[in-house]
Amino acid sequence: MTDQLTRRQLLERAALGGAAITVPGLLAACGGTSSKAGGSTTAHKLAKTLHFSNWPYYIDTKGQTFPSLMQFQKKTGVHVDYVQDINDNAGFFGKIQGPLSRGQSVHRDIIVLTDNDRYLALMIRKGWVEKLDKSAIPNIKNLIPVQQHPSFDPHRDYSLPWQSGMTGIAYNDKLTDPVLSVDELLESPKLKGKITCLNSMGDALTLVMLANGDDPTKVTDKAFNAAFNRIKKAVDSKQIRQFTGNDYAPPLARGDLTAAMSWSGDIAQLGNKHIHWNVPTAGGALWTDNMIIPKGGDVYTASVYMNFVYDPKVQGLMEAGDPKRKIVGISYIPPVAGAGEAAKAFNPEAASNVLIFPTKKMLDSVKLFDANALNNQKYLTQWQNLISA
Amino acid sequence: MNFFHRHRGLTPYLLLGPGLLWLGVFFVVPLGYLAYQSLQSGNIDFGYAFTWSWGNYWNAIKDYHSQFVRSLEYAGIATALSLVVSYPVAYWIAFRGGRWKNLLLLFIVAPFFVTYLIRTLAWETILSDNGFVVNTLQSLHVLGQGDRLLATGTAVVAGITYNFLPFMALPLYVSLEQIDGALIEAAEDLYASKLHAFLRVTLPLSLPGIVAGTLLTFIPAAGDFINAQLLGSPENHMIGNVIQSKFLELTDYPAAAAMSFILMAAILVGVFAYARAVGTEQLTGTAV
Amino acid sequence: MNSIVVPAQRERNVLHTSLAFVRRHILAVYSLLFFAYLLLPIAVVVLFSFNHPAGKFNYTWQGFTWDNWIHWDGVPGIRSAIVLSLEIALIASLVATALGTLIALALVRYGFRGRAATNILIFLPLSTPEIVLGASLLTLFLNVTWLPLGFWTILIAHVMFCISFAVVTVKARLVGFDRHLEEAAMDLGANEWMTFQKVTLPLTAPAILAALLLCFAISIDDFVVTYFNSGASVTFPLFVWGAARIGTPPQVNVIGTAIFVVAVTLMLANVVLQRLRESKGAV
Repeated sequence: MTDQLTRRQLLERAALGGAAITVPGLLAACGGTSSKAGGSTTAHKLAKTLHFSNWPYYIDTKGQTFPSLMQFQKKTGVHVDYVQDINDNAGFFGKIQGPLSRGQSVHRDIIVLTDNDRYLALMIRKGWVEKLDKSAIPNIKNLIPVQQHPSFDPHRDYSLPWQSGMTGIAYNDKLTDPVLSVDELLESPKLKGKITCLNSMGDALTLVMLANGDDPTKVTDKAFNAAFNRIKKAVDSKQIRQFTGNDYAPPLARGDLTAAMSWSGDIAQLGNKHIHWNVPTAGGALWTDNMIIPKGGDVYTASVYMNFVYDPKVQGLMEAGDPKRKIVGISYIPPVAGAGEAAKAFNPEAASNVLIFPTKKMLDSVKLFDANALNNQKYLTQWQNLISA
Repeated sequence: MNFFHRHRGLTPYLLLGPGLLWLGVFFVVPLGYLAYQSLQSGNIDFGYAFTWSWGNYWNAIKDYHSQFVRSLEYAGIATALSLVVSYPVAYWIAFRGGRWKNLLLLFIVAPFFVTYLIRTLAWETILSDNGFVVNTLQSLHVLGQGDRLLATGTAVVAGITYNFLPFMALPLYVSLEQIDGALIEAAEDLYASKLHAFLRVTLPLSLPGIVAGTLLTFIPAAGDFINAQLLGSPENHMIGNVIQSKFLELTDYPAAAAMSFILMAAILVGVFAYARAVGTEQLTGTAV
Repeated sequence: MNSIVVPAQRERNVLHTSLAFVRRHILAVYSLLFFAYLLLPIAVVVLFSFNHPAGKFNYTWQGFTWDNWIHWDGVPGIRSAIVLSLEIALIASLVATALGTLIALALVRYGFRGRAATNILIFLPLSTPEIVLGASLLTLFLNVTWLPLGFWTILIAHVMFCISFAVVTVKARLVGFDRHLEEAAMDLGANEWMTFQKVTLPLTAPAILAALLLCFAISIDDFVVTYFNSGASVTFPLFVWGAARIGTPPQVNVIGTAIFVVAVTLMLANVVLQRLRESKGAV
């Protein structure tokens, strides 16, 4: 409350021309570097270091270095302390809810959480995130339309997509004919005991609800139960071998699994030409990892970084990589319009890969699960009891 | 060391002091907080409040008693297996190891240098449905034609056994290595057969090692979750998995806390019963 | 008569000696099988460290290469992760074994009030599920704001859960310890400290070594408790679990193999040194 007033006063003074702002004044207004979450401010001063926590293998690499981060440092002078310590939404949230619930900082400026799990919406609802400084992110205009008004952050005040991916069905063509529908996956007797379902409620229920003809973006009890019971039947009949995270990949590669509910990026990375991935006939799921600024993070510096990655040329290179310069790209789905075009200059092969730059048809057929349903304790308990019978 | 002579009464406390202080601060205090949490109620949206919510305990037993029982079952089988499998090896290292003892001990813990996930992935490769092991078992009719080893209760128990082997083998070795070979010789001189000498001399003398090994295996194994998660199907999940999901996915911290205490109580009761059965001196050590 | 008896006798001798051979060596054969079983996954790990994977997954054999060994730290973050893990494992196992040995001595040799409580306290950390243990410890650290999460908090956590293992392991030895040996030393004029140094300690040494190995192994492999209390630091298991989401790079296999090889080499060197010392001190 007092923080906000101070910030507004600061903005007014900044509008008057900046000369009235002195560094000590700024520090006093910011609350210095206490571990209490006061938020660093919109004072338009870049920090020396940006603390960025992300998922592993989720950024462009060249040997030991991260080219886009080095480019950012050259451009703005900010060193990015990049830590790949997020490997699970639930686990990471479990770790940071301790400090955040006590009003303490987690010493990170940007973290990345997925929108088809409850935690992203939860962080925003609990007020454990800082508002973005949109004045520092003019490139936000490049955000693709489908991402502009998600239910958990309708005005994109707190989050911006990092990368997206799709959930569909992968199958091994050496062991089966194409498995293209959820119906086949869950009920074909030929696949009994040879398939896995994802343990993520958002992913699994989206696919099954679409197969039932229901709308996963607005979940009703009736639709939820119909989809849930269908999955339960597949568990009881031993059709589903296991519920997995991304640990479906090894058995799929080995042939222990014939088909699996899976994420698009993983399959692109398997490098196995017998494993094919498709959006299911009734539709698939779209999930997006979003950048958010946890309370206590440096808003301005984080916003400047976000603006940097929303430049189509930067995003294009990050996404597709450049084989000539030995830069390995991220190979998920970028949220920045124009990145595909820019990527053609660096890596035409990647630029034409529909798993990285999907067609409009594919994008239309993938849906995002209802954020309210993700935080419905009844649904969650039911789901957890199923996968942990 | 006249100091110790005069202050004999102090010595045990001085010996215990540093370790117990460490545990007191870094274990008991967090445990106290956990106990406090177990009596809370609420949710992540509106916060948690301390409400003497004993219902958490009752609900945990009511809803998840099958997972509790299954955990004790899996841990028990794994411990028994581990004992049977490790005892001969510990014996061999202790009595025949000679100068290679320490190297052999190193080999026993070597799998831990490669992270858990990697060695489990390796086992998954070895036990693959189409792999050599499964094919052999099928041709020997131990396994049915369409059966598999992975994603079953067998795989979970096998995983627990394998990953806890050092916790059984090392204490066994420690106890066996101490046995004076002369005692065994003496028994044989007195006309005991090798088997008899083993049963009447070696085995009883190695009891401290057996007790130590079984405790160090059973107790942590009962709370394990990762083997069930990677190697089992939903019907093989243990109470550790439930606690994990209560904490992480359902953010139901009070429930997770209550369940943990029930598990700990069950284990403690088991340990006391066990101590009674084998004789408390083995468990607590004889006082001078 | 002789020509009929002698061949039968010889056959019986051969049978006897071969049975005796098997009986004598069955233990060795069994133990070797045990080690084969124990190290089978390690063999797979070593093998796949030479794999040349297409894409980011290292699950199926694609071809042989030395690349992973040459560029063993080619994956960003892997070097700092393994260094951190080794440092912590080394220090934590030493501290935990020291503290644990002292506790074991007290428990076995002295009567004191509260020994039942002490025993319970030793067993409790073993029975606490890691996730609530890690989260509760984190809560403690959050209330101690001058201590940042990272190296020290990980170290404290590791020592905490390793103490119990050390106590139980060393106790197994001390329970059967023959006090007469110490009495004999004291009868021959040694004081308490000398007795401890020259008699107790050497005879307990195998247990202390076993405890050290056990604690080191537990520490270097710990995931859950470390995850909660590491702040932004990344240990080797944390790194592997994170990387596995996308695909375990072969460098992980390389490092696992390397640690194993280094440890074995050190032990072998120790054995050789012992031999030299023995032959020199044979006088």
